[in-house]
Amino acid sequence: MITYVYYPGCVAQESGKELDNATKFIAEKLGINLLQMPEASCCGGGIIDGFDANLKLFINGRTLALAEKNGFDILTICNTCTLTLSEVNEEIKNNPALMKKTNAYLSKIRLKYEGNVKVKHLLYVLRDDIGLDKLKDVVVNSLNGIKVAPFYGCHILRPSEVIKFDDAENPSGFEELIKAVGGEPVSYVRRTKCCGFQTILIDEASSTSLSGNAIFEAQEQGADLMVTPCPLCHLSLDTYQNVAAKSIGKKLSLPVLHLPQLIGVALGGSYSEMGFSRHNVSLKPVMANINLK
Amino acid sequence: MEFTVRSYRFNPEVDKQPYYKDYILNGFPSMTVLNALMKIKSETDGSLTFRRSCRSAICGSCAMKINGISKLACKTQVNSEITKFGIIKVEPLGNLPVVRDLVVEQESFFGKINEIKPYLLGIRENSPDEKFHVLKDGEKITQPVFHKSEFKALTGNNDTPNCILCECCFSECGTEVVNKKYLGPAALAKLYRYIEDPRDNDRDGSRLVNASKPNGIWDCVHCQACEQFCPKSISPVKSIVKLHEKAIKNSITFSKGAKHIIGIANSINKTGRLNEVKVAIDTVGLLGLMNDLPVVFRASLKGKIPSLKLKLIKDMDDIRLAFKELDREEE
Repeated sequence: MITYVYYPGCVAQESGKELDNATKFIAEKLGINLLQMPEASCCGGGIIDGFDANLKLFINGRTLALAEKNGFDILTICNTCTLTLSEVNEEIKNNPALMKKTNAYLSKIRLKYEGNVKVKHLLYVLRDDIGLDKLKDVVVNSLNGIKVAPFYGCHILRPSEVIKFDDAENPSGFEELIKAVGGEPVSYVRRTKCCGFQTILIDEASSTSLSGNAIFEAQEQGADLMVTPCPLCHLSLDTYQNVAAKSIGKKLSLPVLHLPQLIGVALGGSYSEMGFSRHNVSLKPVMANINLK
Repeated sequence: MEFTVRSYRFNPEVDKQPYYKDYILNGFPSMTVLNALMKIKSETDGSLTFRRSCRSAICGSCAMKINGISKLACKTQVNSEITKFGIIKVEPLGNLPVVRDLVVEQESFFGKINEIKPYLLGIRENSPDEKFHVLKDGEKITQPVFHKSEFKALTGNNDTPNCILCECCFSECGTEVVNKKYLGPAALAKLYRYIEDPRDNDRDGSRLVNASKPNGIWDCVHCQACEQFCPKSISPVKSIVKLHEKAIKNSITFSKGAKHIIGIANSINKTGRLNEVKVAIDTVGLLGLMNDLPVVFRASLKGKIPSLKLKLIKDMDDIRLAFKELDREEE
């Protein structure tokens, strides 16, 4: 059993609850103990430093301090939470003035941060901490070579000064996971590009053109499914897929899974256990191919 | 060491469409991609067209896509690319029209740089003598001239003055792909450099107001590509975020982007969480949400509409205190 402080982020606790449920499902199958942290706050959605840089420092410094107090590293399931927490972690650790400023606030709430916590995204926990061999061992429903387009998104790769899980120019971790559960990764250029989520309420047509372009390219390359490690990307790619189709003037119909849903199906999860009824684009056309019940 | 350079080729005067041409080279491992292209041009195919000048990563001329990523050809080693990709695939920069082969048209990029007024605003109404003008014989500059390190000490801005206008960030920019009117990372980073300059005399805050209009600072998708792929280690996205903070602190909040961030901050201050519904309403208003009724309707059928009232996080007072500390920091 390996323990992490679990940081699901806000979206996975509300509009993306299926992601939280699928994560807990695979954690149990893989012997991952997810320590709940009810005190944890929102990370600020990747843009809160635009309101006040100190606010980003304080609220995320607090989350890191809470994890340190618990004595475990943080497991995240959202790219943007991962980057925000990692940025603050790096800033505090490398800048004594920021460490002092953060701890001045933390001392008032009976906390202290010494920089001992690592922030790890589920994708790389599976690859590096659990290991592909162990993952292969527990697969009960190999994905029959179904063609899966990995959509990394931005904040799990860039900036590589802070996020060091993979090669930002040519990542491979996602493809390795897909192969480990019996899928065939689809190669396409936009796998590392932006989904546009951050401006979906500001300039919807431009934002959804970005997600639409990625879905269209994956479809053209023969993908049966797309998978993403980020609930914000999932909102753009799945919930807004009809808008994206209109924005780029193309027909789009590609089911988009959260990463732990793909792993969950391979570990024997059912349609309802994975929460697929909550998806905008139906999985029904591919259910038989992946033996999903 | 033998390797292949696969180059994008397109001469609009004779080619109906672009194509790729392979060149097999016998080079040395430590050669740069620019060395390789110059070898091809001088020994194999004089028609291969690309910009180059300083060969020292200073002029920015030889920016191009190398194995899909915008880089300076003179700063990129053949060996590392071959190790990673097995080939040197060169293409023109993205987000700019191709003139020929690896050469792109640069007017739209420099047009946007000009748009942010990349010079100190210095007209002082009461002192016509201090208007910008060509120096007369013997006349000295009256404004202080800062060394780069002094500028850094004064403003905290240690990177944007190093920009060489190579267009790599523009080529990789997520927003630029879908919004050709977007000012782009280089222009906005330069804007930040001028806004922070203590000599700039932007009395009415017009720089920040103009930048807050559509196609400006709030249209950045935060994809981090500009920072990741800048050959001079500049982070335009961080400059853009500082412009966001500066706009909000100066109450320039008419844009949807500013309302969005303020909505998130308010939501965290009230509950410790991000209230997706409330933030959407704060950003676009109830009327704005009507445009997305089909999305909302489909999401509600699937049970994906988040709660309007969120449970407070445990120890919510900690977060309220963080907000109070911000006020204290400002004082």
